[in-house]
Amino acid sequence: MATPKETIEWAGETGTVSQLRGEVFKYGCLGAVSFALLSVLVLLLYVAADAFQPFTADPGWHLTFFVTLVVPVVGTSVWYYRRDEPAGEVAIATLGIPIIGLLLAAALAVVLSIELVSVAELFALTVATAVSVGVIVAHARFRPRAAFERLVVLVGAPVVALFGILPEEVTMVVNITLRQLDAPVRLTTRVVSLRELVLSVPYLPLPWLMLVLAVTLPVAAGLGVLVARRRASEDSRTVIGMVVGGALALASLGPFVGPALGIDPVVWILVVTFSVVPLGVYVEGIVRRQDGVPGLAFPVLLVGGILLGAVLVEQFGFAPPDTWLDWQFLTSVHSRTPEDAGFYPPIVGSVMMMIVIALAAFPVGVGAAIYLEEYAPDSGLGGKFVTLVEINIGNLAGVPSVVYGLLGLALFIRILTMPAGSVIVGGLAIGLLILPIVIISAQEALRAVPDSHREASYGMGATRWQTTRNVVLPQAMPGILTGTILAVGRAIGETAPLLMIGAASSVRLAPNGFFDQLPAMPRQIYAWSTNLQPEIRHGVLAAGVVTLVVVLLVMNGTAIIVRNKFQREA
Amino acid sequence: MTNEELTTDGRTESDESTYDSASDANADPDGEPLVEQSISVEGSDERSTPTNPETVIESRGLDVFYGETQALQDVSMEIPEKQVTAMIGPSGCGKSTFLRCINRMNDLIDIARVEGELLFEGKNVYDPDVDPVALRRRIGMVFQHPNPFPKSIYDNVAYGLRLRGHTEDLDQVVEDSLKKAALWDEVKDQLQKSALDLSGGQQQRLCIARAIAVDPAVLLMDEPASALDPIATSKIEDLIEELAEEYTVVIVTHNMQQAARISDKTAVFLTGGELVEFDDTESIFENPANQRVEDYITGKFG
Repeated sequence: MATPKETIEWAGETGTVSQLRGEVFKYGCLGAVSFALLSVLVLLLYVAADAFQPFTADPGWHLTFFVTLVVPVVGTSVWYYRRDEPAGEVAIATLGIPIIGLLLAAALAVVLSIELVSVAELFALTVATAVSVGVIVAHARFRPRAAFERLVVLVGAPVVALFGILPEEVTMVVNITLRQLDAPVRLTTRVVSLRELVLSVPYLPLPWLMLVLAVTLPVAAGLGVLVARRRASEDSRTVIGMVVGGALALASLGPFVGPALGIDPVVWILVVTFSVVPLGVYVEGIVRRQDGVPGLAFPVLLVGGILLGAVLVEQFGFAPPDTWLDWQFLTSVHSRTPEDAGFYPPIVGSVMMMIVIALAAFPVGVGAAIYLEEYAPDSGLGGKFVTLVEINIGNLAGVPSVVYGLLGLALFIRILTMPAGSVIVGGLAIGLLILPIVIISAQEALRAVPDSHREASYGMGATRWQTTRNVVLPQAMPGILTGTILAVGRAIGETAPLLMIGAASSVRLAPNGFFDQLPAMPRQIYAWSTNLQPEIRHGVLAAGVVTLVVVLLVMNGTAIIVRNKFQREA
Repeated sequence: MTNEELTTDGRTESDESTYDSASDANADPDGEPLVEQSISVEGSDERSTPTNPETVIESRGLDVFYGETQALQDVSMEIPEKQVTAMIGPSGCGKSTFLRCINRMNDLIDIARVEGELLFEGKNVYDPDVDPVALRRRIGMVFQHPNPFPKSIYDNVAYGLRLRGHTEDLDQVVEDSLKKAALWDEVKDQLQKSALDLSGGQQQRLCIARAIAVDPAVLLMDEPASALDPIATSKIEDLIEELAEEYTVVIVTHNMQQAARISDKTAVFLTGGELVEFDDTESIFENPANQRVEDYITGKFG
């Protein structure tokens, strides 16, 4: 017979091993985390309730949409989660691809409609880019060994084709700096760039045709290459040809069918290019692979639910909520009457500032990270210096944003005499602010590439540059992109630097260029918070906050999806 | 880049005094093979070893230091062309360090310092006018752990050619290299698949195909089979014997049977980075001149 239970001492029944501290710590942490998340959630819900005012609607309105929209959407989501996870991923993708596509299309439509870039300029830009890429590829093919010559071509061809030696903006900034330094030299040398040459051609194609060639063709070609790579079994030329042909045909329908349906041809072409074609390619792939097909039902249910609900609400005459965040809010400028107040210029301004931030911080940050990780010495005096630099980058990441605003004020406005409160100054100042974060996250991503891959490449006789470009960067890119997107998302919410560089509280005109006055979302929200009218302080402000948060969530969501996708492939 | 992985070999300092160097000259008197005869000579007998092969790599008084630690002491040896030269010895004896000296992979470690001469085709590779990148294009390398790039099988094999700017006949070279590496039949229908989907043994053969695609003069192998199962190992060993008809192969191994099976020449390194004996594989395993080598081979130590 085994020993009776009571005598087993090591089993710890007598409580000799105390786990009290661990338990207290565990539940303490759990409580703190839950409390923090819950309070943020409650705040956001409160703000959202202010923005949408859901209680002003008829109960019937809520009931209708609950039945037509919420029940089927939640039901299918639960089913995907429990039974069919691949279908759930398909559902997210089929919903996300057109939404991101629509956002891109909207951004480009705004750029075209405020004539930041005209259709002809876009076309000229594409032609010049294509020609310079062609020159580089041709040079690599015919003179594969001329490395230095290649470097010259690699830099020279795009610069000549796109800018004609140097862009005017750069010349201007350089000349301003030269004037500051009292140097007798000024930059003037320019040749006519290919871009300008195309623009000066008297017989350009019809605008819609130029748009199709400038936008649809490259996007479709890129998608085609992507699909062809996935499908090694088929001839890649046929696949690319089918994708490009289909996209061009669908986009070209715009000018003929669009007006009959009351759709602007430009909008048609952009939506087809960025939303319909990628979605079509994705859905075709899903159907072909027969993997997660039920997921395709999700967007149909969602859109169908919204449409059905709208029809029913109209039919029964239920009043919708008196929401602040509506189409009118997104498309009009700030006004003293709360009902007319809008958020359009800040949205455009923030997007343009984001472009400047990305262009300023990404190349410099990634370049610095590559230098520090791949090129910089590890030991000796140089190694000590590099360590010092790295420590200070970490410190710079912690410098308050208002100090970066001051730096922007001193450097860009005082020394470089750029216009105060302009898009470019705001973008550059905030670009400096996120530069350390971009460097650190890019360094992390580069460090995650296994050394064995570097060794393999060096062992094959690759130079450091070839190894970095062909082996390290492709593997680190998803991580670098994730870090940059998160940093940029953080950056467009920054307010303090904007105050320092003199961004106006309310700008009634969307910026037309990068040297125009900057209306930014957080700056406008801050201005509304001190407005005397309670409707603006509570309603309009809440709508602005929700818009800003939605933009940030979309960016972070994109970053997460990009990361997950590449992690799975690697 | 961290140095830890690169410097695992050659750093360990060991106490040499435990071995009696007085008995160095005492060869095994009756000439009995110390390792199973059938294994040791089979490989070398079948392939008629050229009697007087040319030397392709020669080291003269090579010393390597990692910071203060000496990893190789005065190593002098001549590696013959188109034969398999094996290097054996306990961990940390400097055999991988020697291998990495040949194609100057030690340059990647900041603290590594090399003294003495290492001649490749008569030219000291540590001369200031030698570009290590150009050198590595003549001397291929296969590593301990299979390390294909996360690219397609095709792109992996074509990598070295593309580095050199070759764009023509890539398909043909990729096919030939995969055939030489005995991998073609297994992957010919899935060249565009990711190399990471292959098994470990297939990945290592892919790395060999990648290394020979650029037609190097010498193939360095750093324990190429140590991370593989016995079946994959035997495939790699067969492959090495075939490759030796075209290439000079220098292989580091922990597995003495493997060295006996596949190599023509064997170099025995013992602790402290000392080359103790270098001779034909047969005589090393059957009749070593050095008592410490005999102890090592018979398993009395290491």
